[in-house]
Amino acid sequence: MKKLFFLIVVFVSIGASAQELFVFTEPASNMPAKSLGIRDMNAFMFEADGTLNYHNMPELMWGINKKWMVHVQGFISNRQEGGLEVEGGSLYAKYRFLSKDAIQSHFRMAVYGRYSINKADIHQQEIETMGHNTGYETGLIVTQLLHKVAISGSLSYERAFDNKPGYKFPATESNSAVNYTLSVGKLMLPKVYKDYKQTNVNLMLELLGQRLNDNGRSYLDIAPSVQFIFNSQARVDIAYRHQLYSTMKRTAPNGFVLKFEYTFFNVFK
Amino acid sequence: MIKILISSIMLFASFIANAQITKAELTATGLTCSMCSKATYKQLTSLPEVEKVETDLNKTTFILHFKNGSVVNPGDLKKKVEAAGFSVGELVLFLNINNQKAENNSSFMQDNITYTFMDTKPGVLKGEVKVKVLDKGFVVEKEYKKLLKMTKQYPGYAKANNNSYHIKTL
Repeated sequence: MKKLFFLIVVFVSIGASAQELFVFTEPASNMPAKSLGIRDMNAFMFEADGTLNYHNMPELMWGINKKWMVHVQGFISNRQEGGLEVEGGSLYAKYRFLSKDAIQSHFRMAVYGRYSINKADIHQQEIETMGHNTGYETGLIVTQLLHKVAISGSLSYERAFDNKPGYKFPATESNSAVNYTLSVGKLMLPKVYKDYKQTNVNLMLELLGQRLNDNGRSYLDIAPSVQFIFNSQARVDIAYRHQLYSTMKRTAPNGFVLKFEYTFFNVFK
Repeated sequence: MIKILISSIMLFASFIANAQITKAELTATGLTCSMCSKATYKQLTSLPEVEKVETDLNKTTFILHFKNGSVVNPGDLKKKVEAAGFSVGELVLFLNINNQKAENNSSFMQDNITYTFMDTKPGVLKGEVKVKVLDKGFVVEKEYKKLLKMTKQYPGYAKANNNSYHIKTL
């Protein structure tokens, strides 16, 4: 009984919001204004023939003010012959239009858009403007933080164009899709905060789905991850993405993701 | 005539307080993790009037110590917390004050900012006094809605701006 009471007290008295810094999705919250973040996402995905492909996506993030933030990202992969090659890049912007804060909790909503270019071959029905297709994605994010737990959902529209100059988007395939995600994160450690140097550990679980508009084909993935935050400023995520089901052609849905992030506070005056 | 002069001088004297904001206790809302807290901490330490910031991570409270003789505007503190992505849930100012009469709807000036007493027991303030800022954006939403109901008594409350605040002695 005492233990239970203690647990409740601990649960209520501390919380976190780094638990909404998900691996595969963005929360409706923004990074601090006038700060600069660098991020590097490394995906090791298993091809059907058993080989491993590698995607590297370095990213620069800028908090313009409390409502706006932008990302610039590059897409590098070894899918092409001849090793690592820069295949494209993207520009991402997020606008937080609703923010309701209370003691150790918040509710936020944001809209976002991404425009990507990519010159790689189009090899699957799945549309992915992060590292595969030229095109855009635009959507809505809703995030709720409650003490140690964060829940976030998103709904987006994604449209693919030709991967210029070499690859036309196949006329027979659906060039647009609706994506939906649900992410949950929980702060596991530390139990009680003492200072900014304590390492934070978050556990996360994400569901990532897509439905192609023209033919109704869809997939759903599950992605558990563990996240470490060092010195309240550096972040390391280790995640595994696994396909639960799919009725569309995807060449390498399963694999590991390793993500690094570092925030430079107050870089801009 | 002399009587009027004296009383107007006295009125003037009571209006401009010989006060100094030495410290503030700011509780931020909308966050709990140390990364968000650090973002807020970094924003607050970037203010020129701030000498140092102590933090209570578990309560997301920041204790700000101001430089001697510096100009402190509560609105600047709020702006910094919002820039980090969060809100102010409570702001308590520590005033060093010299014989300031406190009663509801009476005001004093400090660093060209008007502070009006609200919901305060009448009395004379001396020494270190703790006051809580009651304006929009300095209290949680629930409390603000409650305070809004008192606008009949405090006509200036709903239209407070960056140079005018309402305070309650603690």
